[in-house]
Formats: sequence, structure tokens, C-alpha cells
Amino acid sequence: MVTATTKGLSRAHEVYADRGRRMRELRKAGKKIIGYICLYPPIEIITAMGMVPFRIFGDMSEPITAADQVSTTVVCPFLRSIIDLGIKGKFDFLDGAVGAHTCDIGMTTIIAWRDYIKDAPFTHLIDVPHTDHAPAVDYFEGQINFFKKHIEELAGEKLSEDKLKKACELHNKQRKLVRELYDLRKSDPPKLTSMENLEVMVSLFSLPVEEGNELLEEVIKDVKERNIKPGKKKARLMVWGPVFDNTSLYELIESAGADVVVDDTCVGTRAFWADVKAPYNLHALAQRYLVDIKCPRTYRDTQHQETERNYDKDLDSRFNYIKKAVADWHVNGVILQSVKYCDTHGYEVPNLRHYLDTLGIPSIYIEHDYSERSLAPIKTRVEAFVETLD
Amino acid sequence: MSETATPAKTDQKRAINRLKSMYPLRNVVQQDYIDTLKASNEGKPTVWSMLNYWEGDLPLKAMGLNIVYPENYATLLASSGAAEPFLDASDSDGFPTHMCGYGRSTIGYSYRMMKENGGKIPPDAPLGGMAKPALLLGSGIICDARFKWFQSLARYFDAPEWCLEMPMMATYEGSEPELEDYQVKFLVKELKDFIAFLEKLFKQKMDWAKLEELIDLAVKIHETTYKITELRQAIPGPMHATDFWSSMPPSLFFAGDMKVALKCYQDMLSEVQERVKNKESGINYPERYRLIFAELPPWHSLKFFDKLAEMGWNFVFESFGYHAPKPPDLSKYSDPCEKLARLSRNFMFNVFPEAKADNIQNPIVETYLKIARGFKADGFFMHPLISCRAASCSLRTVQHWEQEKLDIPSLWVEGDIIDKRVFNPQEVLARAEAFEQTMDHYRKVRKSKGLDW
Repeated sequence: MVTATTKGLSRAHEVYADRGRRMRELRKAGKKIIGYICLYPPIEIITAMGMVPFRIFGDMSEPITAADQVSTTVVCPFLRSIIDLGIKGKFDFLDGAVGAHTCDIGMTTIIAWRDYIKDAPFTHLIDVPHTDHAPAVDYFEGQINFFKKHIEELAGEKLSEDKLKKACELHNKQRKLVRELYDLRKSDPPKLTSMENLEVMVSLFSLPVEEGNELLEEVIKDVKERNIKPGKKKARLMVWGPVFDNTSLYELIESAGADVVVDDTCVGTRAFWADVKAPYNLHALAQRYLVDIKCPRTYRDTQHQETERNYDKDLDSRFNYIKKAVADWHVNGVILQSVKYCDTHGYEVPNLRHYLDTLGIPSIYIEHDYSERSLAPIKTRVEAFVETLD
Repeated sequence: MSETATPAKTDQKRAINRLKSMYPLRNVVQQDYIDTLKASNEGKPTVWSMLNYWEGDLPLKAMGLNIVYPENYATLLASSGAAEPFLDASDSDGFPTHMCGYGRSTIGYSYRMMKENGGKIPPDAPLGGMAKPALLLGSGIICDARFKWFQSLARYFDAPEWCLEMPMMATYEGSEPELEDYQVKFLVKELKDFIAFLEKLFKQKMDWAKLEELIDLAVKIHETTYKITELRQAIPGPMHATDFWSSMPPSLFFAGDMKVALKCYQDMLSEVQERVKNKESGINYPERYRLIFAELPPWHSLKFFDKLAEMGWNFVFESFGYHAPKPPDLSKYSDPCEKLARLSRNFMFNVFPEAKADNIQNPIVETYLKIARGFKADGFFMHPLISCRAASCSLRTVQHWEQEKLDIPSLWVEGDIIDKRVFNPQEVLARAEAFEQTMDHYRKVRKSKGLDW
């Protein structure tokens, strides 16, 4: 039962501001809430079992204090923030937490959860292979099957083919609606700001899929009806990088005189661009999550079995989806942002910048420590970058 | 032995009582670099490989290919004080500065070779340097960002890359007994594909008999090194950590001729046995404190351990990730790929039964609890690295549980494997003196709780 009194973007703003509120209502009504970290736990299975998947984020405005006993300071501050919030009891509405070996620190986060966070007694860790080789996809399918069996024990019932099919269709519908929403930012000026867009995306990770789809339909309807006055900004930017779940960076960029019209982050397009393909079975899930999600954590072997490697060909194979987005959204600059100590993204930076150079697209790289205060020094660099764009 | 008495010097020459058998093993590694470079000059291909826990090393060696290990080479750059220009080159090519010191060294080396020296080895490269790679063998085992830095080397080289797979440790889920065959099946498929690729790339067939022979040798090497490690539990500790670090590559990478390496390790076993029998210490000062080093050392400042040895600090164990576990029984398997898969997988999964016993979820914690008990440690030297997530991420929890369960305190010293600019030996020595009082205190606490050290 939806208790929302607001709709559309107002509703998204409300959910974004208090992500746990709806989860607590649902839990009180008897629903099981399963938190998950990063993009790789297959949420279709959680939905199909009648539970609610909830994407676990950190909090950029909350200083990390409690996590210092568990985690060194030289690891991903986003994941440190999650542990910190967990120890402080901020995830007390969760019945379970599911992690995946998306990176070493992602893996140790769920391990630390088991030892230090008392909420969410059900935990599961999914091993995600490093490559997208065919045997790796088969192995990952086995991991998903193991997760399925574990969550069936929690639910006390078996997963049926019909329920999985329905869940895949619901999540695919959400992905399709998100793509439709992103299309509304192709105009100049875009019909939706990047801050509004992020609030919607974060809301989708904080609501049951049916409610998220309802929200998206409302937002799309409202935004389509908007009468945007001409007022072109100097730049149309793409933002690339790992998780960014807070509107502050987008506010900073937009206040520098640019529109952020599209992104390649795991709180945006990366999470929603790939569908699960029919027939809806565990192999299809393995394919969608391991192969079709374009995150640098996976070694996407674009020249597998080839005895020579061609750098430019490799870059084009790995990043041509960015080239397409640059063209479709009329992007004239890219901001590569990363949380400090994210190695898998860090190694991509010079290569992606080289690729963007070949496309004639200027770029900058900025780094932050997943705190609002760490964004202030970036402002001047972003302003200078925007100034240079035609 | 008084805990506070000033230690009497028993050998004027060196603070650490180096094993004589360590030097030939160190030479095996150095000779391997020289031989590989010579082979390259004769037109033979060189493979750059990452630490892969043997699943890649042995097929390459069975095909007679020459291998260098950039991670190991980075330690040479650091220990010879030559790392800085290579780190700077990586930074100048746009790679973030907080990333792996091994990775930055290798990227910088590649940049300087290809962009500054026209494909020739940089003139200041120690041991003659590493020849251009014909294959980059990546791996995500134990540190999953590593395959990304080999992928990045495509900026400089047109050599193909292969990324080896390994199911990840550290999960109860992954260690369920019924999953072993499923994991091995995955690895065998990957290994067969990898070997087929090697045959295509180097236009030669795998020598399966040779591979079998090398697997047997690998098991013998690991049986020997495992026995050495067990003996190191003796009081006083007969082998200092620096001897382990100097001698580990022929066990960790199978660097050099494996028959020669086996003989060297057997000699080392004999020497350590003799020391245990004679109660001879790994330091030339009375052993006042038994320390465990976690996890990777400051390669640029190994002499620093002499100062601590002068204070009676004996580092009796170190760097669990560099230790091969007791090898599994492979006699019932006939397929060499399956043997290889099981040998390699054993590193990742051998600690879980103990982990369950202590009810700790992090197997690295459990590993160190087991080690601390066995080695009767007085303290931990925790060395979180500014540039290494994999080796640093669990240290706080290790520190917490060692204190909580065994009353063993830790000295927390931030530093780096390669970049010496973030390590201050003088400050650490000052803190070490104060830490002795902490170790003294907890020695009494442990005894009051019935522990025997």
C-alpha cells in the first residue's frame, strides 16, 4: 500500500531526503527488506521472492567515525561510509544484506558487516568473476543459483519460473522508463536537471520496483509537460565514474554554467541501460550482470584469444557506448570523477581520456573522498574547465 | 630473561642473523632476471606475469617460456632506491597517485621504455631491466585491481593480455565443500582455454609431461617451505622475516630453475632445523619480543629492521599472503589442469575450517589468530599501505580481534611498499620504544588469563 501524499518529482525529492522511511513502513507491514551493495546482486531474485531490494548507499554528509575501528583510511570512503552507518544503526530496517565481489573492498564490506553490524542477520556474498569469458558466465550463473537457494531458505519457499519472469519484466520496465526519462535531457536546454534526475534515480533504489515504476511514469508525464524557457548554458556535460549518490556534485557543476545531460555512473545509466533478456532464467541474469553492465570492475576481454592487441580497437570496443552517448546527448565535455582509492576506475582514467581526445571531446579528472566538504576545492577546476568549452 | 634489561650484543657484525641458505635463493631470482634478458637478446619471447598463485606460472614454464614478474621487479626498484623516476613517469602520464606502487612502477617503467627510450630498457633499470613483453599475464587473485594495470599497459605495448580467473576466498559461501568441484571445473575450463591460447600465440605445443613434472616439483617446494614455516614457531624464532622476503620468489612465483630452487629450500630447511636444535635466533640479540609483520613490507627501508633487531625485536612471521599453504594431495587426479586448479585454489580456501572455529567472518583475521597463537606473538607490526587496498583493508579488523581474543597489541605504522616518502623510520623507532611497555603489559594480561606466553 502506497502511503505517499506527493507525486512525481516532489515524491522523488521526499524519498531522496529520507530513503529509509518507505522501507520502515513496508517492514512494519510485514515485508522483508533486503539491502544490497553495488550493482551486481541480481535484484530480480529478491523481488521475485516477494521481498524488497534496497540499494545501500553511504552518506556524504555524515563524518566517518565508527568505521575507523573496522576499516583503514586508505580504502574506498564510500564503502567505509556504509560500514560507518551500519555500525551506527542507520540500517535497522533491513532484514538482510547482500554483497558481491565487485571489488576487494566491496567484498570485505559485507564480511565486516557480519562481524560488526548487528542489523540484517541474513547476509550473502556473491562471488563475481573478474572476466566475461564464457566459463566465467557459467560460474557466475552457479553463484546466482547459490544465492537463490540461500534466499529461498529465508523466504521459506521456492522461486518459481513465473515469479522470476514477472520480476524480470518489472525491472526491465523500470529500465525502459529510465531510458525514456534520460531522453528528456537530450533537448537544449534539458527538460530535467541532473539534480532532479539523481533524486529520481536514488528513489528508484529506495522503493519497491512497482512503486518506482509508478514514480517514473509520473515524473516522465510531468517533465514532458514542462515548458522550458530558452536559456542555453555554456556546456553540455557527461559525468563518468563510480558511485555518486548525492546531488552536491551536480549542483556544483551546474552552478559553474554547465548542464549535466547524461552520465556513466552506477547510480545512473550503468544501472539501467542493460535489460535481462528472455528467456528469463539464471543464465540470462548472469549474462546481464556480468557481461552487459559496463563497469570497470570487470575485465571486458574485447580481444579475447587474439594474438595481438590493438589499443585503439580495444578502447573503442570498451567505450563506444560512451561515444554513442556523447553524440546522442550532444555532449561537449566529460568530467571523470572518482572517489579516492577506487583503483578499478583509476586505471581507466588516462585510457578513457585518450579515447575522448580521439573523439575531440575535452575532459577533466576530479577526485574526492566522498564527503561534501571535499567538493569545495573541485569547484574552481570545474569552473575553469567549463570556461574552456565552446 | 628480563623484559626490560638492555640487550647484550652477541654479534658485532649484523643485527639480523641471516640464514646462509637464503643467499642462493636470492641469487636464483637475480640470475633469472639476467637469464631472461639474455634469452630476449637472443630473440626469445618474455612474458610479464603477475603473481597468480601458480596456475599461470607452471604452464608457461612447461612451455619453456621466460617470465618476469613486474611486481617483484618493483620491489627491486624500491630496495635499490631507483623507484622514484618510474613513479613520477606514471604520474606524468595521468594515472592517479594513490594507486598500487607496483602498478605505478610498472606503468612508469613501460612509459619510459616506450615513450622516452624508443622501446629500449631505461638505462637506470636495476639488474639490466625487463625486456619488452610478448604476453601480459594478468590476474585478479588476492588483489583484483591488478588486472586493470596490465590492461592499461596497452597504452605502451601491443602484446596481448590474458587475465587468469580464481574464485575468491573470504566467503563462507565459497568455502562450502560441495562447491569445490564446481570451482575446480571453472578453473579447469579457464586453464584449458589459456593453454590453447599459449599454443596459438607461441606456435608450440604444451609439453604435458613437463607440466606434470613441474606440478610435482611445485608440491615438493611447497611441502618444504611449509615445514620451514612450521619450524619458525620455535623460541627463539630461528628465521627473521627479512630472510623470508629475500628468499620467497622461487616459492611464490617459481622464479628460476625449480629443481635448483627445491635443493635450496631443502638446504634452508636443514639450516633452520639446526638452528631450532641449537636454539639459535634469527637475530644476533636476545629475543625480547616476538613480532608478526602484517602485511607487505617497506621494500625501500628493509635496513630499518636492523634497528628493531638491536632492540631485541624478532620478526618471527610475516606477510601471510606470500606463504604457500601445505599443498593438497593431488595423487588421485590425472588431468594436469585439474591438479593445477586444485593446487592454486588451495591457497584461497585452506583457512576456512579454522575461521569457522573462531566464529570470525574474515578469514584473514582467523589466519592471523592462528599464526599469533602458534608463534606466541607479543605484538603485531601493522603496516597499512597508502597504495594497496588488498593488503591494508583487513588490518584494522586483524588488530581488533588480536587484541580482543588474544590480548596482543599492535603498532600501527602507515607507509608504502614502494614510495619511501611516506615512511618515517625515526618516528617509528620512537614509537617502538613506547610500544615495548604495551607489549610488556599485555604479556602479563595474557598470563593472567591462562595463556602460556
